[in-house]
Amino acid sequence: MARYWPQYLAISPYYLIFSVFMLFPVIYTVYLSFQKWDGIGDMQFVGFQQFRYLWDDPVFWLSVRNTLVIWVLSTVPMLFLALVLAVLVNSTRRFTALYRVALFIPSITSLVAIAIFFGAIFSNNFGLINAILKGLHLGAVPWMSNEWTIKLVIAALMTWQWTGYNAIIYLAGLQAIPSELYEAARMDGAGPVRIFFSITIPLLRPIILFTVVISTVTGLQSFTEPQVLFGSDAATNPNSGGPGQAGLTTLLYFYHQAFDNNDFGYAAAIVWAFFLLILLIVLINWRLVQRKERRP
Amino acid sequence: MDLSRRRFLQAAVLTAATAGATAACGGGSGTSGSKDSKNLTLWYWSGGLSDKVVGDAKKHFSDITLKTSVVGGDFKTKLLTGLRAAQTAPDITGIKGEDIASFLPNANRFVDLKTVGADKLAPQYLSWKLKQATTQDGKLIGFPIDIGPCATFYREDLFAKAGLPTDPAQVSSQLSTWDDYFKAGVELHKAAPKTYLINNISSVFTMMIGQSARRFIDEDNTFIGDQDHIRTAWTTAVKPYTLGIDAKINDNTWNAAIGNGTLGTEIGAAWHALDISNAAPGTKGQWRVASLPGGPSNLGGSFLAIPATSGNPEEAFKIISWLLSPENQARGFTDAALFPTAPAAYELPALTGGDAFFGGQKTIEIFGPAAEKIPAAYEAPADAAVSAPYFSELTSIEAKGKDPDTAWKDAVSQAKQIAQRQGVK
Repeated sequence: MARYWPQYLAISPYYLIFSVFMLFPVIYTVYLSFQKWDGIGDMQFVGFQQFRYLWDDPVFWLSVRNTLVIWVLSTVPMLFLALVLAVLVNSTRRFTALYRVALFIPSITSLVAIAIFFGAIFSNNFGLINAILKGLHLGAVPWMSNEWTIKLVIAALMTWQWTGYNAIIYLAGLQAIPSELYEAARMDGAGPVRIFFSITIPLLRPIILFTVVISTVTGLQSFTEPQVLFGSDAATNPNSGGPGQAGLTTLLYFYHQAFDNNDFGYAAAIVWAFFLLILLIVLINWRLVQRKERRP
Repeated sequence: MDLSRRRFLQAAVLTAATAGATAACGGGSGTSGSKDSKNLTLWYWSGGLSDKVVGDAKKHFSDITLKTSVVGGDFKTKLLTGLRAAQTAPDITGIKGEDIASFLPNANRFVDLKTVGADKLAPQYLSWKLKQATTQDGKLIGFPIDIGPCATFYREDLFAKAGLPTDPAQVSSQLSTWDDYFKAGVELHKAAPKTYLINNISSVFTMMIGQSARRFIDEDNTFIGDQDHIRTAWTTAVKPYTLGIDAKINDNTWNAAIGNGTLGTEIGAAWHALDISNAAPGTKGQWRVASLPGGPSNLGGSFLAIPATSGNPEEAFKIISWLLSPENQARGFTDAALFPTAPAAYELPALTGGDAFFGGQKTIEIFGPAAEKIPAAYEAPADAAVSAPYFSELTSIEAKGKDPDTAWKDAVSQAKQIAQRQGVK
């Protein structure tokens, strides 16, 4: 140990910052979830009471349902599109660098800016999409007030943001596949579809597993999208996830409890319950994709 | 430059040590120190006070240094954090009207303004507003900056088209009950089919709660959100929806709707006038203001408070009382649309002049009398949290077509649950 202290010292800033700003808050929320606390007054130990409320709280379960629906609506088309894009880019010969940059731009654009932009496009009365629909003599769709279309808009926003990012990862995976395999397959007379499903997909499985896990974690944490889309300045009406609470994701509900209602203990209980749920879903995902791989 | 490893490490350790020492010193030079500080800090949010009046206060109090910060983002959260870490708390702070109730249980974090001279000034200010910042044992933690007396804003040209009265006094008397108001809305919608009476039904509900002397929780900390006064507000709010005169706007398209005539009327607080004129400058001269159906109501309006850690509470209160004197409130009205809390200001020229956006109407004739007649209701710390389900269920009616009776039952059961969690009986 004594010999290596300079090395430990050199890497210590990360761990110090991590402990103060990440580890401590995480542990502190565990402590908070057993307290009733309004932010400045005295804390009051309430044991498992917060979790019991949580179990009976219909809004919490509604928010979990919303989050899961939005997650499925965004992740499935997102990963599919990403794969298609990656295969397309992989087969091009010219401007590949340009395509890669273009794919990456949405994921580094400010989410707030994207959300405002989407809000303007999908606006019920004055949005671009409804203007086009009206121009084609089709009925306008109440995008921002219907229970399902609200979720679709949020999912579209997330898909738009993360498709390129996943495509880049797939592209890296595709380029790692030896071209001899493709040549051999072509020699044996396999068509492009057969090659895609018999060579590309199986060899890409570890990469797909990675993107599924990452998209699960980020997709379930959707917060900024509904916060910006349905945020109002109206003092008396804090953001509850849009009309009918259709866009109320669990993290938005957590934020509402902590920072609008000053109910910090309950908010901590919400995020911990939700953490366990994410863990469960990631495990299920893992098992599903892994099992296929073990098959001979 | 060629750094040897030893030199690099030495430099690194030195830098770290210097940073640590600086941070340690930083705590000591905060504002909470001696009791007669000549350096005072003031926190408010953009538009929370008139910047001109604040600028003049710096000159007026020449023997002290007043440092002001316009705090952006979530003001309440930043204030909470500031109060927790005492040395970062300001000496004077704004508190938004909707947050004041949640600070009352922690009144010991603030100076009781009655101990620094507020009791002498209190009679000049609206008593119902002072009551909002008073604890049940009589401590006053906030001095009122502004209020939001509510009224009906209406489009005179559209009213004329529908054969409705157009003169503000006539509109006020003929549309004095909610039912009269809705009846006028049906006629308006008939004459101009793309025009609706109200923005959304939640706005009617908000106004009616403000007209009642009781809210969702009473002084004994008992839940009363299932009682008649709330139920009446609910059924009245649902009426425009069933009558088809509800524009059902629950998103950010309000701005466009106000400009293109989708909304024939708008119910809201005095400060709402600024929102309307910003959203629809093209409709200048077409709007008028009339009394709110069913009596006066208040929405919003904020306070100035002195955290208990303040370096110089006496001087801080002198600054507050200067900032909020009737004359300076009148300037705040012209400058930042802050409606005065001292009725003496209603007589001053800044308020009695006509407003060009409202066709030269003297809007104080509507807002002034309303401001003085607003019922003083007890607002419990958990009130805002408990009221939230009613609003989300009302938007469910509009968004999903949920049955109003089912929505009512769901709202009450959720509100009860939140109340229970917040320790309400």
